[in-house]
Amino acid sequence: MMVFLLILHSLLAVALLGAITHQAISAWAPASRASAGTFIGRMRAVPATSYVNAVIVLYALTALLGAIIYPTYRLNVRIVLEQMQLHVPNGAFELKEHFVALGLGMLPAYWYFWRAAHAADYARTRALLTALLAFIVWWGFLVGHILNNIRGFDL
Amino acid sequence: MTGRSVPMFVITFAVAYAVLYVVSVEYNLALFTYHPATEEFHFLVKPASDGPAMYWYGWMATSGLSAFAIATLVSWLPKGPTNRLWSNCSWSVPLAVMVVFVYILRRYFIR
Repeated sequence: MMVFLLILHSLLAVALLGAITHQAISAWAPASRASAGTFIGRMRAVPATSYVNAVIVLYALTALLGAIIYPTYRLNVRIVLEQMQLHVPNGAFELKEHFVALGLGMLPAYWYFWRAAHAADYARTRALLTALLAFIVWWGFLVGHILNNIRGFDL
Repeated sequence: MTGRSVPMFVITFAVAYAVLYVVSVEYNLALFTYHPATEEFHFLVKPASDGPAMYWYGWMATSGLSAFAIATLVSWLPKGPTNRLWSNCSWSVPLAVMVVFVYILRRYFIR
């Protein structure tokens, strides 16, 4: 059951990673006429507002699944990491848990400032909230991926 | 909520949640504790007698509920005292708290 939940957690994280990355690119580097029609141009031209609800739902679901499987990690993985003195991966995961928790607290503001997308005053706030959430999602994804495959990294 | 109180609520929530979360972690103010070895929840902080104790859920509950209460109060205040709140606080304060966590956890990376 835990393996199924871990894989589901990973799949939701992939979807979230795609959504927040597209939105962040679109917010920070909107499509220009010169790049129109290219792969990069199409990536920059996505309607960023359309990702908001998906990002919120995927973030909440991914965090919830992470919270459900966390006790298994705490009992079976973290203790081993400590015994093997793998301090950096352990610390990276500690940061992940705190960053994800902080991201949850930013979601209402993220929702509001994207909902008020018509207000040009909020463009900077929107872009920075999105960038910070994107950083949290990338950090969580990479740390989770490394820890999941830590035996293969020969650390 | 009125049109003005919604931005006050979300900005205050983001700021209060981030600050209260780091305070909860530093002073271990968990609303409840989970003991994964015995699969038991306990109100407030209770160190485990068998296996590790998990406070993460309790820290989020403490900061989430407190930030909700603070943000609700602030969103009801008249315009004067709250209009200094800046929309950029909604990302800058959580970012600052993330840096604080990197500092708190530095011992993992600089041994």
